[in-house]
Amino acid sequence: MMLRTVSSSPLAPSVKVRLINAGFHTAADLTEVQPLQLCKAAGISPEEADEVLRTLRDDSSPLQQGAAVQSLTALDLLHQEETRGSIVTFCSELDAVLGGGVPVGKTTEICGVPGVGKTQLCVQLAVDVQIPVCFGGLGGEAVFIDTEGGFVVERLVGVAEAAVKHCAALAEDEEQRKALESFSVEKILSGVFLIRCQDHTELLAELHLLHDFLRKRPQVQLVVIDSVAFPFRHELEDLSHRTRILTGFSQQLTHLSAQHGAAVVLTNQMTTKVSSGQSKLVPALGEIWGHAATQRLILHWEGAQRFASLYKSSSHRDATVPYHITAEGFRDASVSASSASSLSPAAGSHSKRPRTEHQHS
Amino acid sequence: MDWEKLELNPKIINALKKANVNSAKKILSLPAPDLQRLLQLSNSEVQLVHTAVAALYRSVPPVTALQLTRGEFPSLEPGHRLSFACPVLDGLLHGGLPLLGITELAGESAAGKTQFGLQLSLSVQYSREHGGLGAGAVYICTEDPFPIKRLRQLITQQSRLRPDVPPALIRTIRFSDNIYIEHTADLEALQTCVTQRVRTLLERGLVRLIVVDSVAALFRSEFQADEAIERARHLLAFSATLHRLSHTYSVPVFCINQVTDVVDGPNPGRCDYGLVESKVLPALGIIWANQVMVRLMLRRQERCLRSGEQTSAARKLEVVFAPHLARASCLCGVWEEGVRGITQEGVVE
Repeated sequence: MMLRTVSSSPLAPSVKVRLINAGFHTAADLTEVQPLQLCKAAGISPEEADEVLRTLRDDSSPLQQGAAVQSLTALDLLHQEETRGSIVTFCSELDAVLGGGVPVGKTTEICGVPGVGKTQLCVQLAVDVQIPVCFGGLGGEAVFIDTEGGFVVERLVGVAEAAVKHCAALAEDEEQRKALESFSVEKILSGVFLIRCQDHTELLAELHLLHDFLRKRPQVQLVVIDSVAFPFRHELEDLSHRTRILTGFSQQLTHLSAQHGAAVVLTNQMTTKVSSGQSKLVPALGEIWGHAATQRLILHWEGAQRFASLYKSSSHRDATVPYHITAEGFRDASVSASSASSLSPAAGSHSKRPRTEHQHS
Repeated sequence: MDWEKLELNPKIINALKKANVNSAKKILSLPAPDLQRLLQLSNSEVQLVHTAVAALYRSVPPVTALQLTRGEFPSLEPGHRLSFACPVLDGLLHGGLPLLGITELAGESAAGKTQFGLQLSLSVQYSREHGGLGAGAVYICTEDPFPIKRLRQLITQQSRLRPDVPPALIRTIRFSDNIYIEHTADLEALQTCVTQRVRTLLERGLVRLIVVDSVAALFRSEFQADEAIERARHLLAFSATLHRLSHTYSVPVFCINQVTDVVDGPNPGRCDYGLVESKVLPALGIIWANQVMVRLMLRRQERCLRSGEQTSAARKLEVVFAPHLARASCLCGVWEEGVRGITQEGVVE
C-alpha cells in the first residue's frame, strides 16, 4: 500500500494542522499510536482522533480513497472493461461504432435537437440493460432521472413489449427459454426506477442519494439523466456559478460510473452559436461541459433521415451512422425501412388512424 | 432549515450552525471541497452532510415504472389525458393532451389554431368520465382580442359536438363562467400573469388548463435581431414557469405558436426536424423548441371538406415530435360546432 501523507488525507484542515505540528507526517507515523495518545499528543478530541486513525490506517474504505490506493495495471483495466460489457442499442450499426454498445462504467452524452430521438434512445437503453445474460445482455436494472418530463410510461411499455418479442424470436436453447419466462414486460417495468426533478437543486440532491441507492441495488447498471441541460439552463444565469456547479456535477458522475460500474447516460440540448456571421448548432452548456463525458454522441437530421455521430471517444474512431425510430424503438435504418410498413405489435393496436410514417420522435 | 431533523451527529450540526449555512439549496449546490473548506470538516463528514440534507430535500423516492402504470403516483403519471372532444384527434394523440408538459400548436395565420384552444377550454370543463378535468381554463391572449362571439357559438353548439354526453348534463355546465381571460400586452405583464394570477387560479382549483395564444407574438415583437441573448433569457424564464406550473398542479399547457418561412439554401444553424417538404417552421427557434414536449403543426390544405350542409377548408394536423407519439397526421375541419378530425375514409372532396 502506498504511504499516505497526512497533508493529502481527506481530514478536516484544522485536524491536519495539529497532526503535522505534533510531528505526524505520514500514515506510518500513526501505526503504533493509540487513540488516547494521539488525542493528547496532537491536542484533538477523541472523536477526531478516532477518525484520523480510521482514515489513515485502514484505507480500506473505497469511497474515500479511490485511485489513491488502488493501483491497477493497464492489463487489469482491459480485463475489467471486457468483463463489464456494454448495453446494446438495438441499432447494430451504432453498436458497431460504439464497440458493442453503450459502455458500462463510463459516461456517455447524447446531444441532439428536440424530437430527434434522445429520449427514445434512453428508453431503449433502459429496456436493453435488462436483457438476460444468456441472450448476451447484462440482466441489470436502470435508474431514469427525468428533468424535462419527457419520460412517458406508455412509450416504455411499447419498447419493452418489442424487446420481449425480439428475444422470444431469438430463443434457441433450454437456458434461453427458461430465462424468457421471467423476462416479461412487467419485469422490465419493475426494473426501471423513475426520479423526476424540477430544478438543478433537486437533481444535485438525487445525485448525492444515488450512491446509497446503487450500493443497495447493485443490479442497477444504467443511470440516465434526461436532460442535464434543462435544469442548468433554466435557473443558473450566473455563468461562473453554473460552471462551478457543473464541474462538481461532472466529477460526481464520473465517480458514480467508475465506483458502481454503471453506465451513465446524459442527454443535452443543442443551441445556436453564431461565429463570424455564420450560425450553427452546438451542444449546450458551453465548452467546459464538453469535457464531462467520456464520449459524446450527436443525433441529427440529414434531410428526412436521422443520423448518429460519435465524437470525442478515447477508444473509437469518429463515425456517423443512420438510424430509425420505429414503433418498437431505436433501430437500424436499413432494416426498419423494409419492415416498418408491415410490422408490429405496437402499430397494430392503433393502426386505424392514418399514419404517414412509423416514426417516433 | 431545521437542523434537528437531520440525522447527523452533534459535532457536524454544530459545524453547520457555526458556518451559518442555513439553506438546503446552498448546501446541495456547493461541491464537496467547497463545503469542506466552509465547514472545516473531513471528507467523509461532508459526504454525510450532503446525503442527510438531500434525503430531507427529496419529495418522492425513486418509483418503478410498474408502480406508475398501476397509477400509484398520479403526480408523476396521471394515467389519463385531456380530450380534444373528437375521437379522431384523440386517436392521433393517444388520448389527448398530456397533463404534464408543454404542448405546442404551430401554424400559419388562419390555419385554425385558436379553434383548438377554444375547444380545449370547453372540453376541460367536463368530468373526467367525459374526457375533461372537471375545472375551468385560463386563456392568455397576447395577439388578438379574445374571440368571445365564437366562444358563445361553440357553447350553444356543444350538444352537436358531443353526442357522447347527455344534453341535460351539458346544460348544467356554465361554460363561459369558467374561462378566465387574460390579455397581456407586453412581456412583463405576461410574466406577472403566469407567476401570480395563473398560480392563484391553479391553487384555488378553479382551472386545470393553461392556453397561451400565442407565445410568438410578444417574443417576436419586443426584441430586435441583435437582442437574441436577452430574448432567450426571457423565453427560458417564461417556459420554466409554465413547466413548473404544469408539473406542480398536473395541468396541461397548450401554447399556440406562429411560423416562420424557410429561407432556401443550406443553413447549418437551422433545425428542420426532418420536415424536408415544409416551407414554414415553428417560430422562436431552437431555444423554445427545447422547452416543448409535444409539437404539433396545423396546415391549411387546398381542398374542401363537407359535412352535412357545411363546408370547411381541410386542415392537416401533424405530430412533429412527442416522446410517446409516432410522426403521424390526420385531416380535420373547422365547423360551427368546433374542430373535428376526419378518418381517411371519411374524406369527401
